[in-house]
Amino acid sequence: MLLTRRSALLSAAAVSTFAAGGARAAETMKIGVVSPLTGPVAEPGRIQLNSIRIAAEKINAAGGVLGQQIELIVEDDQSTNPGAVLAFSRLAERKEIVGFVGSIRSTQMNAMAPDMLKVGKPVMFGGTDPTLTKLGNPWLFRCRPNDGYSGRVIVSFITGSMKLKKVALIHSTDAFGTGGKNAILANLEKMGLAPVLVQGYTNNQPDFSPVVLAVKSSGADVIVSYFTNEPDCAVFARQLRQLGVRTPWVGSPSIQSPVTRGLAKNALYGTYAVADFVEDSNPTAKAFADAYRAKHKESPDSGWTYDALTILAKGINDAKSTEPQKIRAAILAIKKFPGTEGEYNFDQFGDGLHGYNIVINNNDKIDYKEHIEFTD
Amino acid sequence: MNDFLQLVFQGLGIGAIYALVSLGFVLLIRAASVVNFGQGEFSMLGAYLLVVFFNLWGIPYLIGMVLSVIIMAGFGLIFAYCTYWPLRFRGGLPVIISTIGASIFLQNMVLFLYGPSSVPVDDLFDTPGIQIGEVFLASQYLAIIVIAALLVGLQYFIFEKTLLGKKLQATSQDKEMASLLGIPVVLMIMITFAYSSALGGLAGMLVAPILFVSVNMAGIITLKAFAANIIGGYGSIPGAILGGLALGVAETLGAAYISVPYKDAFAFLMLLAFLMVRPQGLFGEKISEKA
Repeated sequence: MLLTRRSALLSAAAVSTFAAGGARAAETMKIGVVSPLTGPVAEPGRIQLNSIRIAAEKINAAGGVLGQQIELIVEDDQSTNPGAVLAFSRLAERKEIVGFVGSIRSTQMNAMAPDMLKVGKPVMFGGTDPTLTKLGNPWLFRCRPNDGYSGRVIVSFITGSMKLKKVALIHSTDAFGTGGKNAILANLEKMGLAPVLVQGYTNNQPDFSPVVLAVKSSGADVIVSYFTNEPDCAVFARQLRQLGVRTPWVGSPSIQSPVTRGLAKNALYGTYAVADFVEDSNPTAKAFADAYRAKHKESPDSGWTYDALTILAKGINDAKSTEPQKIRAAILAIKKFPGTEGEYNFDQFGDGLHGYNIVINNNDKIDYKEHIEFTD
Repeated sequence: MNDFLQLVFQGLGIGAIYALVSLGFVLLIRAASVVNFGQGEFSMLGAYLLVVFFNLWGIPYLIGMVLSVIIMAGFGLIFAYCTYWPLRFRGGLPVIISTIGASIFLQNMVLFLYGPSSVPVDDLFDTPGIQIGEVFLASQYLAIIVIAALLVGLQYFIFEKTLLGKKLQATSQDKEMASLLGIPVVLMIMITFAYSSALGGLAGMLVAPILFVSVNMAGIITLKAFAANIIGGYGSIPGAILGGLALGVAETLGAAYISVPYKDAFAFLMLLAFLMVRPQGLFGEKISEKA
């Protein structure tokens, strides 16, 4: 076959047209996801990724976003802060990505926040450090209630529904536990109450007997706790029961996590906890959990990534544009939107949720007790 | 007073755990002049073996423990072959570094195989414990105290009263001399690694029901056990036991009556105080560098 310059040019043009046409047909709406695929928190990372994929499938089945199918671009944060920064910078290089889903860990969000500000596109995240939405960074949108609410909800529950006033507060001395302690103290003070015991501990303790005996002799009628690590919570719970303390106990979310319940077993029966995701708390959560179980044969323990993608997609659809400022305005305008974690009412700072659920451990079954919502 | 007695019991229980892990250290220091920073990982591996045998395969608890101890003894030989043997003529420091490397490798291997979540294991006995007046004696702590006491006795007997113990000590003091006297030095060192690994594994299995089984379960305990070893007297068997118990009781009482968040600090303050005032520890001999 004689290859002339003309035929070569024609075939090259045909190939490039075909390629361009092919690319147009497969054009997708790209969303960047920073997720722990490896490292110590890879297990919850797997559940978060499964959840966001369920959301993507649901959105795509309903016609996608602005007529395009959603495509998730996932980068591994290796469960570390440097890993998260690296993962986000890889995603940030891809100009076609219109928005991101960030981390559930506040420290990772703090590490990535400066880069997120530079990139200037919406980031949905799950970290609960209250300051994250007060950094002056307009691109951060939170899809879980922040820690400021957990303290308020706990105090509101013990003084309201339980009608108890003598609080023994047990907390880890790390950033999470200290933040929780401060929130409880501030909210107790608002009610004109002072705790009968405030007891900090350092993480990874093999023995909690000094703390248990302090609780026992304090005369407290309710224990409030902020445990960071599940084994610490379980060791404390078991020693508490062994030494005969039966005081009612309301804790931060870790005391109802499947890991803590698996370790502490009956020592945690009858305890209350604040929880952001509770399957029975609303119909959206129930439908999501059923879809998750049908696909993965296990129950999900969080739904925030599902909400994150659903809200981001709604924001883009409402904005009718992929321009970041327009998406931001559309997300901030979202009110009374039913999510798995509760009803989303975005405030000016980017916080979508303003309350928590209270759950009770009934013989290892987590039952929904009540939802406490704040409007301010 | 009741609270005080309760705290002393808890302190003795936790101290007995430090003492058990410390014994593993002492053994290798005495027989092979090796400070093994993989000692904590022996405990972690022993506990995971119990999880596999008892939780996963349903083998009876005590048989699972015996099997785990036997496997850990074999593992000690592999550990010695990989970490100690290639560096045996290079002095103490390279071996210490090598054991630290092995410990990082073992932690990551278990993290890869089992993940980061803690696993619960049943107590040795079905009864949770005995109530004497206001004081509750948890059965697992009682078991640890009793088994630690038995092992101390056994170890003391082996080292001080048997020919094998004397051979082990001779090997530790001067390998060349021991070799000239016809002592099979290599065999002695291998026996020590095997026994130390089995002991570490047993300690891990005993603390597993209290601390649960996880990759990091032995971290702070190993550090405290090493501190106990220094407080009691570097390389001294009675020192390791007394150092461990003293540390456990001191930090528990310190936490209860002074400050809970500084609990770990009491242990290491005690270590610092000993290093400054009595560096040879409670039972140690003053050793000076030879010119």
